[in-house]
Amino acid sequence: MIRDIGAQGILNVDLSSGRTWLDEAPREDLLHFLGGRGINAKLLYERVPQGTDPLGPDNVLIFGPGTLTGTSAPSSGRTSVTCKGPATGLYLKVSVGGHLGAELKYAGHDYVVIHGRAENPVFLWIDDDSVELRDARHLWGLGTREADRLIREELGDDEIQVGLIGPAGENRVLFSCIIFSLYNSASRGGIGAVMGSKNLKAIAVRGTGGLKLAEGEQFFELALRTRKELSEDAGSESLYRWGTSGSIPPLNEMGMLASYNFSRVTIDNAERISGQYLEDEGYLTGRESCFSCSTACHRFVRTKEHAYGVVQDSGPELETMLSLGAECGIVDTEAVIKSNQLCNDYGLDVISTGHVISWAMECYEKGLLKGKQADDLDLHFGNVESQLDLIGRIALRKGLFGDLLANGTKQAAEEVGGDSWKWAIQAKGLEQSACDTRTAKSYALAFAVNPRGPDHLMTECYAEFGVTEEARALIKEITGDEEYADPTLLEKRSDIVRWHEDCYAASDALGFCAFTSTAAYAVNPRNMAKLFSYALGVDFTEEQLMTAGRRIVTLERCFNVREGARREDDVLPWRMMNDPVPEGPTQGLVTDQKTLDRLLDEYYQMHGWDPESAIPSKKTLEMLSLLGLCSEIVAD
Amino acid sequence: MTPSLAASFPEMMSSDGGTMDTLSIDAEKCTACMACELACSFAHEGAFIPTLSRIRIVRFMGEGFNVPVVCVNCARPACVEVCPTGAAHIDRGVPVVRINEEDCIGCGECVKACPFGAADFNEEKEVAFICDLCDGDPVCVEHCIYGALTFEPVQSVAQRKRRATAEAYAHRDEIA
Repeated sequence: MIRDIGAQGILNVDLSSGRTWLDEAPREDLLHFLGGRGINAKLLYERVPQGTDPLGPDNVLIFGPGTLTGTSAPSSGRTSVTCKGPATGLYLKVSVGGHLGAELKYAGHDYVVIHGRAENPVFLWIDDDSVELRDARHLWGLGTREADRLIREELGDDEIQVGLIGPAGENRVLFSCIIFSLYNSASRGGIGAVMGSKNLKAIAVRGTGGLKLAEGEQFFELALRTRKELSEDAGSESLYRWGTSGSIPPLNEMGMLASYNFSRVTIDNAERISGQYLEDEGYLTGRESCFSCSTACHRFVRTKEHAYGVVQDSGPELETMLSLGAECGIVDTEAVIKSNQLCNDYGLDVISTGHVISWAMECYEKGLLKGKQADDLDLHFGNVESQLDLIGRIALRKGLFGDLLANGTKQAAEEVGGDSWKWAIQAKGLEQSACDTRTAKSYALAFAVNPRGPDHLMTECYAEFGVTEEARALIKEITGDEEYADPTLLEKRSDIVRWHEDCYAASDALGFCAFTSTAAYAVNPRNMAKLFSYALGVDFTEEQLMTAGRRIVTLERCFNVREGARREDDVLPWRMMNDPVPEGPTQGLVTDQKTLDRLLDEYYQMHGWDPESAIPSKKTLEMLSLLGLCSEIVAD
Repeated sequence: MTPSLAASFPEMMSSDGGTMDTLSIDAEKCTACMACELACSFAHEGAFIPTLSRIRIVRFMGEGFNVPVVCVNCARPACVEVCPTGAAHIDRGVPVVRINEEDCIGCGECVKACPFGAADFNEEKEVAFICDLCDGDPVCVEHCIYGALTFEPVQSVAQRKRRATAEAYAHRDEIA
């Protein structure tokens, strides 16, 4: 069946009762929140009241592909997965690529909202308009690779797209992920544990229908033009050739390569964990795209016979090379590939897994973890065998030590005590991704105010480095001067963050990969607004699009405010605020409380949020037409 | 024009004197972005509906390998041979194998006869469909920015492959 792209069909599934029902998001919500991440945020705000247990049956898990997902718009295949997050107890949106989002659209569904908890493990089978909950007891305990294969085999169609959890999600590891289409991961914040808590092993989707647009010809033409521009963008070319880990050598040179649990910022032989090395040494066997992508940053690798056996898997990406490599003192490509494969199969977020292990290694080297407490493992930095061993222990919550680490560094540090909290590289309960927020100040601000915790996947401010011509042009557009393309400056950081927040939210909502709009720049608010307009037959401006982005960001803040989050929660990991960079060209840099306060003051003022509490003002909510929805959070 | 059809119609020459271009596939370069399926279905059906695309990507999940599959325009097309109404025919103008929707009775014999799975069936319209090379300007090629699909003279394809074979031979010592 071919249907209109403007429909906003919601498939609801209550796992407790087994009931499924359809409803619709109103058209005005689509124009207000753009779809995807935006509508997800509204659904979450409405359906998950304050104080809900993230791992209880009352939390909901929402899958929302972008509004343009399933069309020829370049790199528009992403899906936002939203719930209340178990790592932070706050708002959690995770964006994921792959092909499942488009498949869902073709099946006739724009959103899937999972409620309740199944009595026994089940998986959800969406076959166009037919919806079925199937027994998954035979899949429980299996890794993501085997379970994905068995589901496609059981349903008898190899083109089915599967999103599923591994043992880590089943065991409610607070940094477990959901694997989509085998090669992609909705990684952060323990979203896999929410799926596991619902006894939902997988969702499997087959969609044979299609999407019709209001002004199809104009859309088709602009989408192709943008696709071509995007493939010629310098950032995009590098992402295709080397993947995200092509940035490893320049990061090392700049003194921004997080290593040894952020106690160092360079590492010897860094090129051995780079995208260039994957290509040069013949590990790279293929490049994979997410749906409709014109960058194909995804790697597919195969190792030779080696200590860890032959490994054939997707990735590893930049963050993986850092978290499971440099951060743990490991510069062995095959060790990272193996660690990555284990995490993918167990269903673990590589960023947090690496940072939990690097935290444990630092504790061990400082004598805070030893002997039986660490299951008699040798946890010196660089010990690959221990790392591989630990990944399994964490995913299975094996023994006291595996169980301790499975709760993330915030809780683990509370148990271990001493000063170990100081090198737990987390804020709000989420481990920071491997960007050095002592040096890069837009990132520092963006990470501190990020509703899900400190990482780059809600607001990517890559432009502040000014490494490409396109990036410098954008900084000029935002600030008026190319000179602000310097990450160590404090001036104009809130302008840069705000632009990227709005743009990222709009990109997520429409389904665009943030790489196309905030790392490469051929997808921008202008053509996003045009594509949205052509798709829906409306006249939507760039300003309206960015305002909708702002509305989404503000609504996400409101969710956290309702949960009790305030200004004092907008912080960075202790080390970013107190341990200056120890070496290299960035030596001495730190984002201390005073610096952060200056950035926050500007930021809250710019947003119209109260500087003391960081609560959006009544006027701001009114301006963004959010007052009706969020009236409970403002003081009368 | 594909090599097979070109062989049947030597009189079909392109304006520059060579044979007509052929749709050539380099699966090594395919990243399974599905842009070809999206473009094809939009051009032919006015909607984004991969199941009605004339070109399809077959993915080997977990192996990191993807293969585009499309009509190769056989010199003696099985679909044409089995078609009871003449709906499936060779259009000497392009030239290309075509299925005329008006004459198609929806028997599906062409789908079963095609050895490549290139002919497929539109259940809603109850007609078979197959690649028509967009009348000589295939939209899938324009959308394939990875270079997995090209439309070029068959001699260029042969020349490129000769070169690759020769390079492998020339560097055989390094490989060994």
